[in-house]
Amino acid sequence: MGFLTRKKMMSIMALGAMIGLLLLPIAVSLPALTSGGVAFAEDGKEDGKKDEAKVEKGRDVYYKTEGIVVGAPAPVTTDGPKDYPRYNFESRVLLWFANQQHLYYGSFVLAVPIFCMVVEFMGVVTKDKALAKRYDQLAYDFIKISLTAYSLTAVLGGILIFTFLTLYPAFFGYLSSIFRPVMHIYALMFVAESGTLYIYYYGWDKMKEGFLKWIHLSMSVILNIIGTLLMFLANSWIGFMMSPAGVDEQGRFLGNIWHVLHTALWNPLNLHRILGNMAFGGGVVAAYAAYKFLASKTDEERAHYDWMGYIAMALGVAFLIPLPFAGYWLMREVYAYRQQMGITLMGGLLAWLFIIQATMIGILFLSTNYYLWQAMGRMRGAEKYQRYIKYLVFLLACGYLVFITPHTMVMTPAELKAMGGQQHPVLGNYGVMSAKNGGINVIITTTVLSFVWYMRGNKVSTVSWAKFGNIFMGCFFFFAYINIVGLAIYGYYIPANVRVGLSVPQVATTLSCLFFMFALNSIMMKGAKQTGAIEWGKISARSQYALIMLATAFTWMMGLMGYIRSSVRLFWHVNEIMRDNSPWAYTHTVGFAANMISFNVLFFWISILFVFWLGSLAAKKAPVEAKAAVPGSAPQPAASH
Amino acid sequence: MKALMSVGALIGAIALLLLVGMILDVVPSNTVRLVEGYMPMQMLFEVACFVVGFAGLSFLLSAMGMAIPRFWQGIGFWAFVLLYLKFRVYPPIPFSVRAMYGTVSLVAVFMWVSASEEDWKKFKQPIMNVLDAQSGANKLLRYAYLILIPVLIGWTSFNSMKPKSEEPIELRTVHPAPPASTKVHGKTYTLQTSQNPYRVNPEGKYDQEYSNKLIVEQGMGRLMAPNANPWDEKNEGYLKYVREGGEIFFQNCHFCHGDNLNGRGLHAFAFNPIPANFTDPGTIAQLQETFIFWRVSKGGIGLPNEGFPWASVMPPWEQHLTVDEIWKVILFEYWHTGYYPRTWD
Repeated sequence: MGFLTRKKMMSIMALGAMIGLLLLPIAVSLPALTSGGVAFAEDGKEDGKKDEAKVEKGRDVYYKTEGIVVGAPAPVTTDGPKDYPRYNFESRVLLWFANQQHLYYGSFVLAVPIFCMVVEFMGVVTKDKALAKRYDQLAYDFIKISLTAYSLTAVLGGILIFTFLTLYPAFFGYLSSIFRPVMHIYALMFVAESGTLYIYYYGWDKMKEGFLKWIHLSMSVILNIIGTLLMFLANSWIGFMMSPAGVDEQGRFLGNIWHVLHTALWNPLNLHRILGNMAFGGGVVAAYAAYKFLASKTDEERAHYDWMGYIAMALGVAFLIPLPFAGYWLMREVYAYRQQMGITLMGGLLAWLFIIQATMIGILFLSTNYYLWQAMGRMRGAEKYQRYIKYLVFLLACGYLVFITPHTMVMTPAELKAMGGQQHPVLGNYGVMSAKNGGINVIITTTVLSFVWYMRGNKVSTVSWAKFGNIFMGCFFFFAYINIVGLAIYGYYIPANVRVGLSVPQVATTLSCLFFMFALNSIMMKGAKQTGAIEWGKISARSQYALIMLATAFTWMMGLMGYIRSSVRLFWHVNEIMRDNSPWAYTHTVGFAANMISFNVLFFWISILFVFWLGSLAAKKAPVEAKAAVPGSAPQPAASH
Repeated sequence: MKALMSVGALIGAIALLLLVGMILDVVPSNTVRLVEGYMPMQMLFEVACFVVGFAGLSFLLSAMGMAIPRFWQGIGFWAFVLLYLKFRVYPPIPFSVRAMYGTVSLVAVFMWVSASEEDWKKFKQPIMNVLDAQSGANKLLRYAYLILIPVLIGWTSFNSMKPKSEEPIELRTVHPAPPASTKVHGKTYTLQTSQNPYRVNPEGKYDQEYSNKLIVEQGMGRLMAPNANPWDEKNEGYLKYVREGGEIFFQNCHFCHGDNLNGRGLHAFAFNPIPANFTDPGTIAQLQETFIFWRVSKGGIGLPNEGFPWASVMPPWEQHLTVDEIWKVILFEYWHTGYYPRTWD
C-alpha cells in the first residue's frame, strides 16, 4: 500500500512537472513579451517628455492601428554574397528540401501523440479487457515509432535554421528581430515537449493500471497541448510572411507582438495544419502497418497489423473528411486578405497546381473507399453489399471527374482552334467552383456511405424498427445527393458572393450524413445479430497497397500544398514588406515543382523506412514476456468499429 | 425487377447503337443535341443511362445463359468511356482531358472488378489462362503478346520522339491576378474597392441588388425581365446606361466578341484563341467589374507577366474609349449575359 502511495505521489509529481514545463516558457517569456510593447511605449513616453520629435509612430499595415516604432525597417536586399551567400547551386531549392523534410517529420511527431492519446483513452474506457490491452499496446507502438522520428525532427530543424542563417541571413535576421520573444518561447516549448514525451514514453509500464493510468493519460493531453502550441507558434512565422501585421509599411515592428502573431491567415492555417497533420500521421502509421502486414510470416502478425492499419486509416480519414472544408476557409480568408493572392492561387499562375491537388484529394478518397470494400471481404455476411459497389464506383468516378476537370484546358493550338474557344462548352462548366463543390461533396458522402456499409457488414439489426431505419437511411442519402447536386447547379444562377455561401448547406448535408447516419447506424446495430466474425488478417494484399497509396498521396499532397502556399508570395520574402532580390525570385515551372516534390516524398519515405527499421530492432530486443503480450495473437471480432 | 432490367437492357441497346452510329460517322454527334444551358448535367445523365442500360443488358444476357465474362465487361466499359468522349461529346475534347478521364475510368474499372476477391478472380482468369498457356489458342496468344507488346511500346516511343511540326502545348493563364490598382486617363482606380459608377438605382446610388433584378434571365432564350427593356427610350438611369453601353459594344466590340457575346463575332475565327466568351460561366461571371475594367482598358498588351503566353490581341481600349464608355460597356455585358459581377462582401 505504501509502495503504491509512493508511486502515486511520484506520478502526480511527474504530471505537475509537465504542467510546470508547459507554463514555464510562458512565465519566462512574459517579461520579454511586454518588453516589446509596454517597455518601449513607456520609454517612448519618457523620451516624449524630453523631445517629442524623437518618438516616431507608424501605422499597422493590417490592423490599421497606430503604434510606436520599435524595430528596424525590413532590409532592402541586393543580389550578392552579403544578402544571399550561396554555393554553386540554387539556395531556394536547398531551403525547400530542408524545410519540407522538417515539416514532414514535424507533422508526424505532432500527429502521432494525438493518436496515442485517442487510442490510449479508448483502451482505458473499453470494458473488454483483451481489447483494452490491444488498444494500449497499439498506443505504445505508435509512440515508439514517433520517438526516433522525434530526434530526426530536431536534427532537421537544426539543419533548417543553419540553412536559413547561411543562405538567407538578411531575411532571417529580419524575421528573428520581429519574432525574437516568440522564438525563445518556441525553444522553451520544445524543451517542454521533449521532457514530457520522455516521461510519457518511459513511464508507460510504471503507470499502466488504475489511477496511475489516468495520470499517464493526462500526460498525453499535456504533451499534445504543448505540441499544438509549438505548431501554432511556427505557423505564425509563415502567417506573417504571407499576410504581415504588427509592422508598418517599411516593416518596422510597432511593439505589439500579438498583432504579429495574430495575422489574417494564422487561425485558418492553424486549423488546416492540425487536421492535415492528423490525416498525414494516420496515413504514415497505416502505411507502416501495411508494410508490416505484407512482410508478416504468421497469421498472428497479419491479424495484428491488419487491425493496426484499420485503426490508423480510420483515424486518418476521420480528419481527412473535414480537411477540404478547413482548406475552403483558408482560401476564403486568402481572398478576403488579398484578392490578387486568391486569384494567383486558384485562377491564375498557380491554378494548374490546384488541378493536381484536386487529383490527389480524389486519390485519397478513392483509396479509402477501396480499402473499405476490401475490408468487407474479411467479414462473413458483407457479401450482400458487394454487388452494389459498382454503383458507388460510378458515383465516386463522376464526382472525381468533375472535381479534377480544369476550366482552362491543356491543349495544342490546333485543338484550341477545333474546340472554338478557350473554354469547352460542356466540360468547361465543371471547371468552376460551383461544380467542384458538388463533386467533392458527392465523393465525401459516398465515402461516408462506404463506412456505413462497412460498419454493418457482418451484422443484421435486431431492433423492431430496423426496416423503417433502413428505408430512412436510404432516403437520407438519396436526398443528400439530390441536395448537393441541386445546389451545385443552382450555383450557376446566382451572384458569386451568394454562391460562396452555398457551400455551407452543401457541407452541412455531407456532415449530416456523417453524424446522423453514423449515430443512427450505431443505434440500429446495438445488440445486432452477427452473421460472422471479422477475420483479422484475412484481407487482400491489394487493400494494403491501397493504404500505402493513401499515405504516399498524403505525403505528395502535403509537399504540393506547402509549395503552393509558399510560392503565392511570388517575389516577396514578406508579402509587400520585404522583397526577394535573389536570382531565384521567380516561380518554378509546374514540371520542376512536381519533380522536386517527388524527390522530397521519396527522400521522406526512404528515411522513414530507416526509422521503422530502427523501431523493429528495438522490438527484436524486447523480452519474451513483452512479446507474448503483443496483441493479435488471438484474432477475435471487435465488439464495435 | 426483371421488367426494370429489361427496360434497362432496351435503353442500353438503343444507346449503344446510337454510339456505334456516331463512331462510324453514320449518325452525326448532334443527332441527340447537347442542349445549351443543360450540357454538363446532360452528359452525366447520359452516362448514367448507359450504366443502367449495361446493367440491364448484363442481367438479360446472364438470364439467357450468355453471360459476358467479367474481364470483357471491364475492358468493354473502359472502351465505351473512351469512345463516348471521343465521338459523342462535341466540340472535340482536347487529348489532355480525354487522357485524364481515360485514366480515371481505368482506375474506376479496376476498383469495380477487384472490389471483391471473387470478382477479381473472375477478372484475372483470362489473363492467367494466357500466361499459363495450357491450350493451343492461349499459347498462340501468349506469343502474339510477346511480340506485340514490345512493338507497341517501341511504336509509342518512336511516335513521341518523332519531331513534330505542331505548335507546342501552352499552359495559358486566362485570368492572371490583376494589379492592386490601375491608372486610366490619369486617374488611379483601386481594383478591390472601385465600383461601376453607372450601376445605380433611381436615386443615383450604387445598388447592385437593384441592377441584378433588371438583367436578362439566364438559360435558353435569355429573356428580358418585365419592364426592363433598355431599348425603350423612356427608360432612364441604369437601363439607359445599359443601352448606351450596348451601343458602344455594337460599335466597337461585337466584331470580335459576337452579337450574342459568346466570342464568335465576324472576325473571331481569325484569332487563335478566339475572343473571350462572356456567356461562359467561367469568364465575367467569376470576376469583379473592376477586373474587366482593367482588362478592357489595358488590352492584351497590358497583360502582366503571369498572363503567359499573352495570347490576346484586344486593343487597349483606353486609347479609344473614355472611362465612362468603358464602365457602360461593362454594364451592358453583365446585363446581356445575365451574370452578376463578383463581389466580396
